[in-house]
Parts: sequence; C-alpha cells; structure tokens
Amino acid sequence: MGDILAFTLVWILVSALGEIGIQSLIHHGVYYYTATTQALDGEAAFAFIITVLTPVFAFIVVMIGYDMIRFRSREPGMRPSPRQFYNNKVFVSIWILVSIALNLLFFVHPTASAVEQMFNSEKERYNRHDLIINVTARQWQWLFDYPQYNITQAQDANGNSILYLPVDRTVRFVLRSYDPMHMYDPYAGVIHSFWIPAFGVKQDIIPGETRYMYVHTNKVTSYNVDPMVRVQCAEVCGPGHPFMEAPVHVVSNVDFMNWIKQQQKLQAGQS
Amino acid sequence: MSSVVSDMHGARSEHARVKRMLPPVVRGLLWALIGFLVMNTLVSEVFDRMPYHPFITRASVTLGWVAAVGGWILGVGAWEGAVKPYLGYPEEWVVPQDWRKYFMYSTDHKVIGLQYIFSSLGGFLIAGFAAMLMRLELMKGQMWIFNNPGAYLSTVGVHGTVMMFSVGTVALVGGFGNYFIPLMIGANSTSFPRMSGVSQWLVPAGIATVVISPVLGQWTTGWRGYEPLAGQDPAGILFYYLGVFALTTSSLLVAINLTATILFKRAPGLTWNRIPMYAWGILAVSLLNLIWLPEIQMTFVMALLNAVIPLPYFAQIGSPLTYMEMFWLFGHPEVYIIVVPAFALWQEILPVMGQKSLFARQWGIIGLVFVMILSGLVWAHHMFTNMRNSQMLPFSFFTEMISIPTGFAYLVSLGTMWRANLKLNTPTLYTLMSMFNFLIGGVTGVLLADPVVNLQVHDSFFVVAHFHYTVIGAMVFSWFAAFFYWFPKLSGRMYNEFWGKVGAIWVFIAFNMTFGQFFFLGLHGMNRWVPVYPSYLEPMNFEVSLFAFLLGLGFVFNFLHIAWMWNKGPVAKDNPWQAKTLEWQTASPPGEQNFDPIPKVISGFYDYRDQRLPIRNSPQKEPTS
Repeated sequence: MGDILAFTLVWILVSALGEIGIQSLIHHGVYYYTATTQALDGEAAFAFIITVLTPVFAFIVVMIGYDMIRFRSREPGMRPSPRQFYNNKVFVSIWILVSIALNLLFFVHPTASAVEQMFNSEKERYNRHDLIINVTARQWQWLFDYPQYNITQAQDANGNSILYLPVDRTVRFVLRSYDPMHMYDPYAGVIHSFWIPAFGVKQDIIPGETRYMYVHTNKVTSYNVDPMVRVQCAEVCGPGHPFMEAPVHVVSNVDFMNWIKQQQKLQAGQS
Repeated sequence: MSSVVSDMHGARSEHARVKRMLPPVVRGLLWALIGFLVMNTLVSEVFDRMPYHPFITRASVTLGWVAAVGGWILGVGAWEGAVKPYLGYPEEWVVPQDWRKYFMYSTDHKVIGLQYIFSSLGGFLIAGFAAMLMRLELMKGQMWIFNNPGAYLSTVGVHGTVMMFSVGTVALVGGFGNYFIPLMIGANSTSFPRMSGVSQWLVPAGIATVVISPVLGQWTTGWRGYEPLAGQDPAGILFYYLGVFALTTSSLLVAINLTATILFKRAPGLTWNRIPMYAWGILAVSLLNLIWLPEIQMTFVMALLNAVIPLPYFAQIGSPLTYMEMFWLFGHPEVYIIVVPAFALWQEILPVMGQKSLFARQWGIIGLVFVMILSGLVWAHHMFTNMRNSQMLPFSFFTEMISIPTGFAYLVSLGTMWRANLKLNTPTLYTLMSMFNFLIGGVTGVLLADPVVNLQVHDSFFVVAHFHYTVIGAMVFSWFAAFFYWFPKLSGRMYNEFWGKVGAIWVFIAFNMTFGQFFFLGLHGMNRWVPVYPSYLEPMNFEVSLFAFLLGLGFVFNFLHIAWMWNKGPVAKDNPWQAKTLEWQTASPPGEQNFDPIPKVISGFYDYRDQRLPIRNSPQKEPTS
C-alpha cells in the first residue's frame, strides 16, 4: 500500500509540473505562428490533446522511474522477487476502461468536433463571398490567378509569384497540378501539397483533379513579419521541390484593392 | 541440418574436398556478373534490339537483374544445397565448422539467424552513413555537401529504403527470429531450412541493389518510390523497386518459415498457452508479412511495368493516387511489422530481469494480436491531406483505437516490474528506454491521428520525428536490448556492464536530443525532403545535426563494444539471467543440435515463484516425443 501511495503522490506532483510546462508551451503557441481561424482550431485541438495526455504520459514515465529506483535489485546475482503475482483485476480493468474512455473522448473531441467545424467551413452556403484564387502547381513553381479580378499569375516587381490576401476574408483556393508553360505536355503533373505553415492546413494537389482548400484569414501579416507566412510545397515533387515556395501577404481590404489595381495595371501593360 | 550433411560422409566428403571451388560469396558474385551480362545482352541486343539503344536499357537491366540475383543465390550455394538435391542428386554441400560457414549457403537456423543479423547490421551502417550525410547537408540552409537536390533526395531514398526493408523488418524477425524461435520453442531446426538458407542471401542482394541504384540515375521519391513522381525519375527507380522486391521476398520467406515453425515444430508440452511472448510477437508479425507483403510486391510489379514498358497507370490519365493508396495499405502494417517484435521483447526481457512472473500475460497476447488485426484499418491516416472528407473519420477512429492494444504492452511491462527484483543492467536499460521512446511516438501518434492537427504537421519534420521515435526509439533500442540480453547466448561470453550502460545512456540522450527537436522544427514550418530551407530554421538544424553525429558515434561505439566482447569477453554461464525460457536451457552458444533430447515442457516460462525449471529432459521416453 505504501508503494501505491508514494507512487500516486509522485505521479500527481509530476503531472502538475508537466501541466505547468505544457500550459506555458501552449501559451507561447505550439504552432509558433498562426494567421487563420483554421490554424487556431488546429492549435486548440493540439493543445487539448497534450493537456489531457500529460497525466497519462506522466503516469507511465513516473512508473518506469519508480520501478527503476524502488524495485531495483541490490544484489550481484539473480534472485526471484519475493513478491509474485500474475494479475490484478482492479488495475487491469481501470487501465482498459480509462484507455477506451480516453480514445472515445478524443474521437468526439477534438477529432469529430474539429472536423465538423472544418467541413462546415467548406460548405457552399458559408462561402458565397469567398475570394477565389486559382492555384496552379507546376514543376517547380506556384502560380496564383485571381479570376474575380481578371488577374493571371500575380507577380511581384521581380516577376516572382506572390500571394496577396485580404484580412478577415474566407479564401477558396482552387488547386490544380499541371504545367501551362510546358513545352509539349502541359498535363505531365505530379502530386504537390499546398501548405502555408502559418495557416495551419495543407492540401495535396493531384494531377487531373481539382481540389479545394478554405482558410479564413484573421491577422494582417506577411512573409516579412514571420517566415511561416509562405507557400511551401510539402509533398516531394522532384529535385526542384525545396524551391517551390512563394511569399504570402495578408493585408487590409484597402491595401488589397490597391494591390489588385496595381496588378491589373501591370497585366494591362503586358498584353 | 548442416550436421546431417557432414554426417553423411565417408567417401563423398573426400570427393568434395578434392573438388576445389571458389569461396561461395566470390563465386556468387561471379555468377551474378555472368548472369547479368548474358541476360542483359540477350535482351538489349537480341530480343529487344532497337537502333540507337544503349547497351543497358530499362528492360534489359530489369531482366539482367533477375538473372544476376539468380546467379548470386545459386553461386553462394543454393545450386549444390537446394537445387541439385531437389532434382534428385546427392547433396554435396559441406559446411566447414568455422567462420566460413557464415559466408555461404547454410541450413542451420543459428547460422542463418546470424547471417541475417550481420546483413541487417550492414544495412544499418550503410543507411546510417546516408543519414549522417543528410544531417551534414542540413547544417546549412543552402546546398553545400551535395551539388544538386536530386543527389540529396536519392540519399534520403537510400537511407529510408535500406533502413525500413533491411533493418526494420529484418533485424528482429529474420535475424533474432530465425536464431531464437526454434530455440525458444524447443526445436532443432526451422520447418523449411533450405528455403530459409536461400532467403537470407536475398538481403545483401537487395541492399546492394538499392545502394547502387543512383548508378542508373537519381530517384527523388524517398522510401515510398511513389508514383506519379517516380514515372518521371531516371532509371534509378528501377533498382528501388527491384531491390525492395528482393528484400520483401526475403521477409516473406522468413514469414512462411517461422509461421510454420511456430505452428508445427513446438516441443512436446509447449501448448498454445505456453508459447513464449517473443514467439507470439514473431507469429503476429509473420501473419502481417504474409498478408501485406504480396500486396506491396504486386504494386511494385505494376510500378515496374509502368516504368519499363512504359504505361500510364499512375499518370494524370491513369489514377495518380492509386500507388500511394496501395503503398500505405501496406505501409502502415509495415510500421507494426517493425514494432510488434519490440513489444514482445519488452515482455520477454522484463520478467527475466525482474525475476518476477509476467503480469497479465493474456492481455499482452491480446495486445499483439489486436495490433496485428487493426493495423490494416488505419493506413489512410497517411493520406488525410488528399482523401475525401467522408473517409477521414473512420480512419481517424481506428488510428486512435489502435493505441488501446498498443497500451497493453505497457500494461504488461509495468505490471511485471511492479514489486520486482529488477536488475538494472544494459538490456533492462535499453528496454525501459525503448518504452519511454515509444511512449513519445505514441502520444504524437494520437496527435497525428487527429485530422485537423494532421493537416498541419503532415509532411513536416513533426512526422519525421514521430516515426523515428517509433522505429529507432522503439525498435532499434529493443534491438540493442536483444543484442545484450542474448549476448551470452549468441557468443558464449559476457559484455562489459559498465561500457554497455555508457553506450545505452549515450545513444538515449543523443537520440532524444536529435529527434525531440525535430518535433519543434516541424511545428515551426520545416518540411520534408528539402536540402534547402529558409534561414530562420538554420540554427536549430545546425545543432540537431551535432546531436545526430553524436548519435551515429554512439551506435558505432555500441557495435564496437559488442564486437570486442564477442571475441574477448569473459566466458558466460549457460543461463546467466536465470531465465526460464527454453533457449536458456541449453548450452551457450548452442551446439549443432539445439536440444538433445528434445525437452518436454511441463509448465509456462514466466512463473518465478520458485526456481524450478519448466522442462523435464525426460530419460523416461514420453510417447509424444
């Protein structure tokens, strides 16, 4: 009984310390930097899971440590332990029930609840005023078109692809993998993955298919503020894979419209 | 079985001594070369001759490789040892009882086991060296070791492929499984010793094929060899498919052999209730191998045809995602193929080192079996980023649920240690470290099972950290636990306890400092398969690389320690741990016959209430034996 009591005390203590550590980590942001509501949802799910699992983690680690110290053999040879038992129905039952309960809990929340939120954000009725951006992944470059504003291949002053988004808007990325600039086979595509680390989601882009990704921006920010605000290909797509990135700017509505006008002027000059 | 051959002699062995022969490995290489040249020439110059084609074409190198592997297998001894006897000729294969027996075809499961152990060790060192090159490159945000990203990606591919298919699935199954399963179930051989002798030689062939694959051209897909990207790659990808085909064939033959051995060759009295935990683990793994390896081999055949003919199976006009789906349908059971033997080892080692009866044994077995069953239902969590929404929840559900049977391995291990008389020696330390590491792998696995979190951390270094925790953290640490636990059995000698512990603590710290930080790199936006990355990630990557080198040195240190003590260590007793399982109830190392006579098992192996042995070496003949 003494061992159980001592172990429980140590376990509670370590769990409490662990929770303090984990909560300070969560306070700093486990996702480091977030710029969409989707990222906040993901971060909240992450935080919930590690908060609940900290005592479980502590239980096993403390028990390993406790066994190592308290029940270590102090003699040179091998001697059977004087205390032998094969089973402990109470312990086994609690273990199994707790592990089932924890898994069901995680399945309901955050898994199903957060997924439901994500599905809802993708439903059409919520997305009537989305900013639509056609994203084309070619080997190895991102191309961003704004069909609502007649902009194809938005570029910065150096001719590099650039992604501008207004803040507090839902954005629908329409994702396709092909190569409009290919010499003879524009449909020779591979799988890419559209990832903006600060946006908290990614979506693979499959040749021959059209996929969608929805985000709701919630912060004025840019690649210059935090380098996590960049488009980065996450699925290996050949030797050029690491270079398949583009800076992202999330700006106010006024700035966004200014940028649109500037791009339109640029495109008019080109044609 | 080798003894059978050398017993049959008289005149014939003199004849064999007169007949001079190249060392079998050299002859195997020669026959492989001849096979390749003949078949390659036939295909590229005769049957499939095209104007302006080079001497080596995709079709000719594929068929040439098949002939080369055939020549290699026959050359190392399968010709005399397996083919000729099968055709009715007398068996003329004499295995010398010295170091040379490890360098030729053999039918002794202990020789085969050690051959597998050495092969996987070779794979581990080669792939580990590739990992060191990768970490060297990643010390800087720009290219500086490799001169192009394709070379880096080929290195990533070789590292992952060799580690997974020649170490992860081989070391504890083909290696320790072949050596110890017959010993643990009281048999003198496996069920199909000739097949087993042949299968081992596919491992070096497979490793060599993957390692030299860049000779045919870079391949950039990583260890999955995934289409449609592979369809674009130069011909190096052919040697990926072929090499992995050889390695998986080897594992498949091991699975057939060990399943049959466990089912049919158990000593009298070794009932289903008394099967040792490691044998349960190997049985579960072998069933997984039997189910899933043919599936991935079919996929590789399709991908090979796709690349050789070529066909558009996986291009845009085919089905681009099918390869990935087929791959992960195998790929996730593969993870459990790697880790289930590790779970079994914990439950094997802890009752011995704690000298306490195994706790809740039935739950340990239920855990191993249910992990095996559920492993086929979780694979699509590798594809949350490209599947339709309706598929996410079921796969997420099963992925979370598999943590329940996985947890039973902890339930049994922790319950066994409670109030034990725990010997804190090197194997125990490695076992506990393996439990700690897999715990981190498991907790982060729960995070990855959650689709919303997965969509952020998938394909980032977070995932890399997670699976290195399960593969190195759990399996490689258990592999070392097995090395030290069975060291006296394998070598007849004892390792040095002090240096063993130093090695364990060394790799434990270096491992956690390396891969623990991978989680934070991934969360901070470090994606996979990139030799070039944004500069804000450089400081952490630089420092991670230093720990990675420390880890590499730690592994080398452990292997040197093992190799040194194997030859120079103090002679060990037959059963230094006072273990009750059968492999310890015979000489260390075992003679040519494991058991003479075959023991009769009269009780389970995990009862430490007293020091009575669980066997009776029956002088009075039992009718069953």
